[in-house]
Amino acid sequence: MSNLLDVENLRVKFPTRSGVFEAVRGISFSLNQERLGIVGESGSGKTLTGRAILRLIKRPGVVEADRIDLDGKDILRIPEEEMQAVRGKRISMIMQDPQYSLNPVMTVGSQIAEAYRVHSKASKPEARDRTLDMLETVRIREPEKVYHLYPHEVSGGMGQRIMIAMMLIPEPDLLIADEPTSALDVTVQLQVLALIDDMVRERGMGLILISHDLNLVASFCDRVLVMYGGRIMETLDAKDLHNAQHPYTRGLLDCLPRLDGSHGELQVLKRDPAWLEA
Amino acid sequence: MIRVENLNVTFGDGENSVQAVRNASFTVAEGESFGLVGESGSGKSTVLKAIAGLHSHWTGSIEVDGMALKQKRPRAFRKLLQMVFQDPFGSLHPRHTVDATLKEPLAIHRFDNPEQRILKALDDVGLGPEFRFRYPHQLSGGQRQRIAIARALILEPRVVLLDEPTSALDVSVQAEILNLLVRLRKEQGLTYVMVSHNLAVVAHLCERIAVMNRGVFIEEMTDEQLRSSTPSHGYTRQLLVASKGYDRKAIDRFVEFT
Repeated sequence: MSNLLDVENLRVKFPTRSGVFEAVRGISFSLNQERLGIVGESGSGKTLTGRAILRLIKRPGVVEADRIDLDGKDILRIPEEEMQAVRGKRISMIMQDPQYSLNPVMTVGSQIAEAYRVHSKASKPEARDRTLDMLETVRIREPEKVYHLYPHEVSGGMGQRIMIAMMLIPEPDLLIADEPTSALDVTVQLQVLALIDDMVRERGMGLILISHDLNLVASFCDRVLVMYGGRIMETLDAKDLHNAQHPYTRGLLDCLPRLDGSHGELQVLKRDPAWLEA
Repeated sequence: MIRVENLNVTFGDGENSVQAVRNASFTVAEGESFGLVGESGSGKSTVLKAIAGLHSHWTGSIEVDGMALKQKRPRAFRKLLQMVFQDPFGSLHPRHTVDATLKEPLAIHRFDNPEQRILKALDDVGLGPEFRFRYPHQLSGGQRQRIAIARALILEPRVVLLDEPTSALDVSVQAEILNLLVRLRKEQGLTYVMVSHNLAVVAHLCERIAVMNRGVFIEEMTDEQLRSSTPSHGYTRQLLVASKGYDRKAIDRFVEFT
C-alpha cells in the first residue's frame, strides 16, 4: 500500500554567479490522510518544498528528486500536460496572500467557476451553482453578492476564504497551504484554519500546512517537520513539539516571548553550523 | 510624559467618512512602556501616527512633555520624539547608505561630532562599524530594523513610538530586537509607546496595556492582569484565547464585537 504522497531526496537548486545555490537539500517525507505541518524561518526552504511538489519552480531553478509519487504514481517526470491535470484536481495549493494570488480583473465568482470548469465538463450555469454552494461552505454571507465582487473589494479574511473555495472546488486529494493565514488577524486566522480543518476531515484529504508559527502548527497539525537551511532538522508528533529535543527546535521555542513569562531577557537562538551539514 | 485626551481621527468626509479613532484618552508616565493592542482596523497605528504628527485630521488634545501639540510640529518636537516602523524594508531609503541615513537627522538638528555619534549609534544597536557604508539591500531584516532603531535614537529622543517593530521578523530575530529595545530603554531612560497585534510581545515589553477595537479604547490593564488572564472585557478574553493556539471548540464560540 503506497502513501498518498512520497517525497524522496528532494532538491531545489538555483544557479547563481558564485555557483549553484541549493535551497532545498535532499529532504524526504511521506504523507497520508493527515495534517502535516512544515515549520521553519524565512529561507528555510519550506515554501519551495511546497512549490516543488507541484512543479511550480520557474527556470532557472531546478527540481531534482529520487521520486515524488502521488498514490504510488510518479509526478516528477510526467509531461507538463499531464501535470496540468494533477494541479488543482489532485493537489492544490493555497498561497499566502490572496491579494496577489487572485486575478485582479476577474470577479471572484468567475475565477472560482473557472477553476471548477477546467477539471470537469460542467456547463456554465452548473459551475455557477457549484460556486455559490462553495462560497456558502466557506461561510461567506450573501454569496450572490460576493460572486460579482472584484478581489480589491473584499477583506483579507474574505479573500483567503475565496482562495480556499477555489482550491477546494475541484475536490483535490491533497491540499498544500502556504502560510494561509499569516496576513490575517488572530481570530480570523483561527476561523479560516477551522474551515480548512473541517474540509480536510469531511473529505478525507491530506494537508500540508507551511507556517513559521510553531505554536499554531503544534496545536493544529498531527505531525510536524522542522526545516532549517533546506534540510529537515527533525520530524515529530505535534503534541510532542513542546518537548522537542533538537537544539534548533528548542531554540525557536525558547526565543518566543510568553504570556505567562516574565520581563526577563529572551533567549537568543545560537545557530550551529553543524545543522547545515549532511 | 504623554497625555492624550478625547482624540478623534476621521478620514474622508460626508457619507464616506470613517472614524478611525473615537474619544481615545490615555496618559503615559516618563520612563514607562505603554502598549496598544488590537486587530487590524482597530485604530491602534492611527493613534500612534496622530501623536507623531503623521496624521493631521485629528481633534482633541495631545500633550508630550508638557508641550501642547498642534497639527504642525516644531523641530524641537522631532528631537523629543521619534518613531520606528513595522516594515524595515520600506522604511529605509534604498539608495542611501546606512551612513547617509544616520547623518541626515544629525544635519537637520545641527548636532556636533556626527562621526562619533554614528559609530556610537551603530554600537548601541549591536552592529559594528563595518555596516556603516552598506545599502539596505545588503542587510538582513533584523539588521535593517536595528538601523531604523539607530536612526530613531541618534537624536537622543526621550520618547520612542514603536509600530509593530518585530512583526515582519522571524521569531529568533524578534527575540534579539526585543532584548535590544529592553536594554536601550533601561540605559537611556526612554518612554515607549508600542503598537502590536501580538499579546505576548506587548506583555513582554510593556507594563501597561490598552486594548482597542473599532477605534475605541475598550480597556486598560497592567501586564500582570493580562498574564493572569483576568481581563474584564469579553473582547480581550477572546483575543487571549485566540493567541493560545488552535482549539476547534473555542473557535465556534467566537463572536464579533462591535
